Amino acid sequence: MKGAAGRLIPLFALVCALACTCASTAMATDGSNAERVQRGKYLATAGDCVACHTAPGGKPFAGGLPLPTPIGDIIATNITPSKTAGIGNYTERQFSDALRRGIRADGRHLYPAMPYTAYAQITDADMQALYAYFMHGVAPVDSKPAPTRLPFPFNLRWSMAAWNMLFLDSKPFTPDPGKSAAWNRGAYLVRGLAHCSTCHTPRNLLMAEQPSRELAGGDVGTWHAPNITPDADSGIGNWSEAELVAYIKLGHATGRAQAAGPMAEAVDNSLQYLTAADLQAIATYLKTIPAQHDPADTRAVDDWGSASDELDSLRGVALPVDPDKMTGAQLYDAYCASCHQARGQGSFDGGLPPLFHNTATGRTNTNNLVMVILDGIRWTDRSGVHMPGFANHLDDRQIATLAAYLIRHYGNPAAKVSVEQVRQLRAGGAPSHLVALVRWAMAIVLLVILAIVILSVRRMRRRSSGQA
Amino acid sequence: MSGQLSADIVVIGSGIVGSLAARRLALRGASVLILEAGPRLDRGRVVAAFRNSPFKGSWMAPYPPSPWAPHPIYVPRDNGYLKQAGPYPYPAEYIRAVGGTTWHWAAQAWRLVPNDVRIKSLYGVGVDWPLSYEELDPWYQEAEELIGVAGADDTGSPRKQPFPMEPVAEPWSMRRFRERLAPAYPVVANTVARNSRSYGGRPACVGNNSCQPICPVNAQYTGETAVAAAEASGVRLVPNAVVYRIEHDAKGRIAAVHYFDPDKGSHRVTGKTFILAANGIESPKLLLLSASDKYPNGLANSSGMVGRNLMDHPSTSLTFYADEELWLGRGPQSPSSINTLRDGAFRSRHAPYRLDFTNISQVLNVTNDLIKEGVYGAEFEKQLRWRAARQVNVKNVLEVLPDPDNRITLSSEKDAMGIPKPEAHYSIGEYTRRGADVSRADFARIAELMGGTGLRYSADGQFANNQHITGTMSMGNAPSSSVVDAFGRTHDHENLFICSTGVMPTAATMNSTLTAIALALRTAGHILPQQTTTQTDLADDRREARLS
Repeated sequence: MKGAAGRLIPLFALVCALACTCASTAMATDGSNAERVQRGKYLATAGDCVACHTAPGGKPFAGGLPLPTPIGDIIATNITPSKTAGIGNYTERQFSDALRRGIRADGRHLYPAMPYTAYAQITDADMQALYAYFMHGVAPVDSKPAPTRLPFPFNLRWSMAAWNMLFLDSKPFTPDPGKSAAWNRGAYLVRGLAHCSTCHTPRNLLMAEQPSRELAGGDVGTWHAPNITPDADSGIGNWSEAELVAYIKLGHATGRAQAAGPMAEAVDNSLQYLTAADLQAIATYLKTIPAQHDPADTRAVDDWGSASDELDSLRGVALPVDPDKMTGAQLYDAYCASCHQARGQGSFDGGLPPLFHNTATGRTNTNNLVMVILDGIRWTDRSGVHMPGFANHLDDRQIATLAAYLIRHYGNPAAKVSVEQVRQLRAGGAPSHLVALVRWAMAIVLLVILAIVILSVRRMRRRSSGQA
Repeated sequence: MSGQLSADIVVIGSGIVGSLAARRLALRGASVLILEAGPRLDRGRVVAAFRNSPFKGSWMAPYPPSPWAPHPIYVPRDNGYLKQAGPYPYPAEYIRAVGGTTWHWAAQAWRLVPNDVRIKSLYGVGVDWPLSYEELDPWYQEAEELIGVAGADDTGSPRKQPFPMEPVAEPWSMRRFRERLAPAYPVVANTVARNSRSYGGRPACVGNNSCQPICPVNAQYTGETAVAAAEASGVRLVPNAVVYRIEHDAKGRIAAVHYFDPDKGSHRVTGKTFILAANGIESPKLLLLSASDKYPNGLANSSGMVGRNLMDHPSTSLTFYADEELWLGRGPQSPSSINTLRDGAFRSRHAPYRLDFTNISQVLNVTNDLIKEGVYGAEFEKQLRWRAARQVNVKNVLEVLPDPDNRITLSSEKDAMGIPKPEAHYSIGEYTRRGADVSRADFARIAELMGGTGLRYSADGQFANNQHITGTMSMGNAPSSSVVDAFGRTHDHENLFICSTGVMPTAATMNSTLTAIALALRTAGHILPQQTTTQTDLADDRREARLS
């Protein structure tokens, strides 16, 4: 008995000790959990998860937004903690694999529309906080958005495994001890959660980012995500860190640029909520990355143009009946001058921005200029429409004429806008040949394999007939 | 256009009132056709026309009339479309174009005060309305949410639900009026269909200060937006369709309407229900034009009241120099007013009024004055700067009582299409003149509180017109003394309704557009009462407003 009791007591003690430990851990996690959830919320905001995982007018994180890609629409999923429709059953490990490796709980691959190549940088501690937030800080929504249906062969999710082998670096961020804490924080945010490169780094034929051209400018749908490297002409080399911080926080820096399209969304949903220290860290880091120069930029993109007008050609002249015959000056007078003023100088306080010394007119890639005329600038918060769009008022030729006027007076005269470009952007962008290309490539590979098979079969037959 | 157009509901006139009624009916599943006499306009071209116009003070200058659907023009000279029979002129301005006159309004979107609809019972003047303010309240709310109204709560018009938007930012000049006139006069933000933030996909006001020729950014709701909303809801619109006759059948029901295209080809449009929404002058003109053997005095006119009881809100004003720089011209043209004199026992003796401050840039007026005074050179610039910074103006907005002798009739003159022009018979009654006299004391007190100098009252007996055309097709319970019932249905024709400021039996002291929209939505709700609440629509509108 004694022996048994002797054995039992330590066991009992152990159970007690364990129970106590568990209880105290539970208490500790209760205290730190709230904090962790709060930190996870901040990180989720920095990661701008809501931008893709919320449909217009839909519940936060319930998914359903179709993300246009060159291979078709990818439908964002429900990432609320719903156990039936969302990620409520995910373990922390599964959650981490989805974010950092692009693998869902069922083992199938995510498409890289989910920026897991960037999120791979997220540290374990931040991953835990994000998990805590998504499990305890987000309201579950039990509705499933429609599944993504891509054309063959992209409907084969396992093909992404090959893509990951080529393009996914799944090592979390490791700080560079030779750099300041702010620099390291900035690098972590830019490369990781804020996933700047997802839009701002050009992609190769297989839609993977080109590391050698990091942040040199990419295309996101119909919009151009510009070069944000410290090149003095093509990028943000002539911006002060304070201007960068202002731009990221407010969506505009007077005399430089203003955010529109997806960047306005990023500021609106995410960047404006970052702490002053994090904003400064991003600016610090961006100023140090390798500069990427575009030879087409012979002057800083925000340094073109000056106040000017063609009023002499307007006053006392009747507008042509045919809207396509309106001159650029007439179009400017009718649709732009009330706010941007007769000479493109904007309002005295910059609230209505000048059009010269403005990247919207100074860049040789003119897609954003056309897009902002078509769609205007709108935020999803209460400030809403910052500039009305003119898609319903101006036809393709009028927009091309107007853009040419803006470029001639206020921008880089080497830039061009064509009627066809406006037509394509209005229609949602140039058609992609990626699906056809990949299918052709696959067909050729298949033909080669077939040829090899046929040849070897023939050889085998010849050999066997020889034996007979 | 084929001669065989037809719809469940045919609406004559595409202004803000008719279009919003049409939209509501289309959303209920009816096929709706709008016939508009004027052409489609493009905002940018209107802006360009304004910017290019040498007549910056003429808000009609960017809207030249079309030959087939003329409207009155007075600058640089009267085009003679609205004939004046006197004794006092009624120089109404309105626009015959797709979207109508709200292309260039001040966007004042006021409710009445509750007692406005009972002045006969309470004060022994005018007439009572056939409905109460409380009955109007939900329709006001629906109208306000549709067009996006911003306002302050302390204007004397009670409401059950909050305004869709908080007031538009207060310009400096108005802030100084508010501060210096308190507590004698509370100066409050006007109730306006102007965005104080993004609403309905349209941006917030950025203070271009050209509301009444044209808002260049669409920050204030206009008939253009109403038409777009109607068309998005399935309404078909035929522009340049000048309706010249409404046709009835043997039983007195309306069978069709006839319109001219610009080449004077005639077309007949049939329908089940007809809505006349062609403003307070063109609508009675059309009813009178449609006289037949059965209805020799015109349609809907067994009472003889069609075209009668013409009203407006006449104004007298005081211009002076404040003792500080106020620089009118930043922000909307008409941002603030005093609303404590809209109602009271005094209404049995004299007209009530609102006191309204202009915020229109004074540079043009002062320049004209200085040139007239012969001031030139350096002194001109000095004076221009001094006066433009300090010159201010306060006007009253007076109630007019319905008087059957004030009326629109058919002129013997015809327009280019051979259609008789409208003719105004008008005078300003003693009730209104007494109100103007009383308000002079307020003008003087306001000038005194602002340290005013150089006081210039508008000439005695001179009243400015405010383009609030009311009364010409009044609603009432008695078919013997009114044209339509409380739901806008004509007493004489079971399937003819009127949506217009013209159905208002009294003018009160408030701009009439919002009340006309509310009444029109109520009429639409009466025509197709199934699914009487519009909660789904409103939810959609709210969602749109949030998203945009």
